[in-house]
Amino acid sequence: MPVDTKLPPGSGLFERIQGLFEIVLDVPDEISDEEARGVIDVMPPDVAHTLEAFLHPRVRTAALAFLKTVGVWLKNAKEAKSKGKKVILVPFNFVPELVHAFESAVPLTSEILSTLAGNASEGKGHRYWDYAMGIGIPDHLCSASTIELGSMLSGHDFEADAIISCTAGACDANSKIHEFVSNYLGIPQFILEKPVDDSERGIEQYRRNFFALVEQLEDFLGEKIKEDRLREVVEYCNRSSELHHQLWELKKNSPCPVPNIYNMFIYGCRFTQWGREEAQRAMQIMVDEAKRRLASGEYPAEKEVARVGWLYTSYYIDFGGMFNWMEEQGYTQLFDVLDLFFPEPISTESRETMLDGICLQARTFPMTKQMGAESMSLAWIDDAITMAKMLDANCGVFCGHHACKQTWSVISIVQKELMDRIGAPVLTLQGDAWLSGMTPVATLQANIDEFIKNVVAKKKKVKPRARARTEG
Amino acid sequence: MDVASVKVGSAMDAVNKVSEVVENDYVKKWKESGGKVLGYACVTTPPEIIDAAGILPYRIRALGNPNTEIADAHLARFNCSFCRSCLQLGLDGTYDFLDGFIETNGCDHLRGMFENWMYVKPADFFHYVKVPHLTTEDAMNYYVEELVFFKEAIEKHFGVEITDDKLKAAIARQEAIRDRLRQIYSMREGSSPSFTGAEALSLFLLASAVPYDDFIELADKAIAERTGTGVTGYRARLMLCGAATDELDLVRAIEDVGALVVTDALCYGARAFWSPVSTEGDLVKSLADTYLKDMLCPRMYEDFPRRRDFVLNEIKKADVDGVMVMHNKFCDVHGVDNVQLRLDLEKRDIPVLQLEKEYGSRADIGRIRTRVQAFLERIGGKS
Repeated sequence: MPVDTKLPPGSGLFERIQGLFEIVLDVPDEISDEEARGVIDVMPPDVAHTLEAFLHPRVRTAALAFLKTVGVWLKNAKEAKSKGKKVILVPFNFVPELVHAFESAVPLTSEILSTLAGNASEGKGHRYWDYAMGIGIPDHLCSASTIELGSMLSGHDFEADAIISCTAGACDANSKIHEFVSNYLGIPQFILEKPVDDSERGIEQYRRNFFALVEQLEDFLGEKIKEDRLREVVEYCNRSSELHHQLWELKKNSPCPVPNIYNMFIYGCRFTQWGREEAQRAMQIMVDEAKRRLASGEYPAEKEVARVGWLYTSYYIDFGGMFNWMEEQGYTQLFDVLDLFFPEPISTESRETMLDGICLQARTFPMTKQMGAESMSLAWIDDAITMAKMLDANCGVFCGHHACKQTWSVISIVQKELMDRIGAPVLTLQGDAWLSGMTPVATLQANIDEFIKNVVAKKKKVKPRARARTEG
Repeated sequence: MDVASVKVGSAMDAVNKVSEVVENDYVKKWKESGGKVLGYACVTTPPEIIDAAGILPYRIRALGNPNTEIADAHLARFNCSFCRSCLQLGLDGTYDFLDGFIETNGCDHLRGMFENWMYVKPADFFHYVKVPHLTTEDAMNYYVEELVFFKEAIEKHFGVEITDDKLKAAIARQEAIRDRLRQIYSMREGSSPSFTGAEALSLFLLASAVPYDDFIELADKAIAERTGTGVTGYRARLMLCGAATDELDLVRAIEDVGALVVTDALCYGARAFWSPVSTEGDLVKSLADTYLKDMLCPRMYEDFPRRRDFVLNEIKKADVDGVMVMHNKFCDVHGVDNVQLRLDLEKRDIPVLQLEKEYGSRADIGRIRTRVQAFLERIGGKS
């Protein structure tokens, strides 16, 4: 443990964020414009700016539902120890429902905490990143995990009881920082490896790895997953999955009735409270709101100019400046890579069918499925093209998060294949999706604007070249 | 003899000449006589399986090549410059002498390198060995199967049969190569090391780039030539740890300022040859044990204590004054591991210089030299 920490006690990321979300839990489900303004005005500038995006009238109802979902998730983690439960730190591409299935554990997702810090805390999470850099962690690590883990490393944040690392095979950066934190703080680490092997043999290997993890967790927690509780969790998962598919269907309409920021709400629910009533409630509200908007023809711009598939993550440094700004220009964000999960209904027949169903979802989780595939580009291209065709996307944007070496290493292939196969041009941006210091939002907006106005809007319909990649 | 004026003998001259080029004269001769050559990059690839098929295993290298112009159109600036350098040489034709490639999921950058290489310039033979990141019994079984698939793929494509006898003979040959390397490294442990760090790297590079007989001949000559001689007059004995580096110029630059590299824990170095392969029992399983279970690479996410202990043991064995831990910019596996290693070594009062660098960048050499000079001043060192 370092002696000279620059972060005073009580200034850990989790504590600060959880404190703010305590307030959110007391806010009514529906609030007026005046009340929203009142809440925004009492917040520090960084937080107020984020709230402006969330409490915008056209997304407010769903945003409040989402924020409360997260608020409950944080509160459960906060109260875990006093209730004799353990906190399991998980990465974004892990199925939280597996942890929810235990009575004695709650999941906390590092990337979600980093995202919250970047938007709902004064200073935008930079202090935690800086702390990690101060220890010597290289600046090419992924800020998505390193912001939260930097806070943990300071010794002034909550301490997880165990870490699940499930990016072995899909992301070196994520795997290494989890390993480091585990060693540095002496916290046990459980690794779920995804073989870079999509054959039946690879799938079976993953299944064995998954069931081994279940056993390890049961041993660690001293609790065998009970079938009834698992069934309750899985039933919530199934209902949320159904709502997720309904949102996909709604997105097929033009103009798109699903606001851009919902994409983040959807996977925010997926990565935290899937398998819980709170996530299902937020998903239901998103569906209801989108249906209402479809019926009333609501769309914030005069016309829908571009239907954009974000090939990697979004930017999480300014929700208003990205999600809301885009749709106000008529630029619909149909999905980003983190939305690319396609949950199938899980059979609740037995403990094994339920665990098998969760295992399948874990193996096909966003990023695990694409970057953990035998070829990093093939699965990614297939999913991007499937979604682009299904939702009639006419262009792609690659956010170019600098730490993501896997996507950077094959984006040239993806870009070319998308143009060749479906005639979709792809804009490549550069920046850090979780740190505001690298590329200002204004620059990102200008790049997106130029691309859509000069390339997408003026593009004539061309027949895609008949070329398809085959496994080499 | 003084570190700055080490006499270059004829054997080491020959070694350096071969090690400084990608397609060396021995490879050319091998090809001219109808021999096949397979390229691999990662230490989790057992060259024995290639050797047993009568094919020359060749470890892909970039030799400090700073030019990545063609590669940068495919990989990004955010990818490791070693992989970009290798890709450059693949796409510019330097590696056209290879008859095929073996990929492993060594790291994210390496995966990207091979994916782009094969996308732009598909090879007649390409096989992907999927290597687990754990060494549980289940993971080891999976890797054993992968090695069997690897063997079968070679047999099928090249129309050869790899019998147990052939595999045993190949293991013996590769073991003899590793024995020479171990001997060369041992000759650096005394107070007057027989080889400089740059020479040891040169010999290491030779070992995975020429046919067996040629290596043994050259290595034995170099060993004989240097037996009883030693380097003196250096300021400090350093150990190099970290990322894939085959940069002879870098090691020379470090030694030019008065350091002497006496051992290492590098991917192109000691990590690749210390563990022997048993010829008892199932040969493929023996290979799996050496190339995965015993492997010392930060791509393994549960193995840090073993990697650290290897470094500590080397420090003791080679009487190291200070440790340089290096990683190529954007290398996550070494970048993070090096922090943990530095913290652990510093707790033991072992001086450490942690360095992030661009691979092959000559512009970086001046900065590195300054850092090393400052490090030498900090640790004092023997004269």
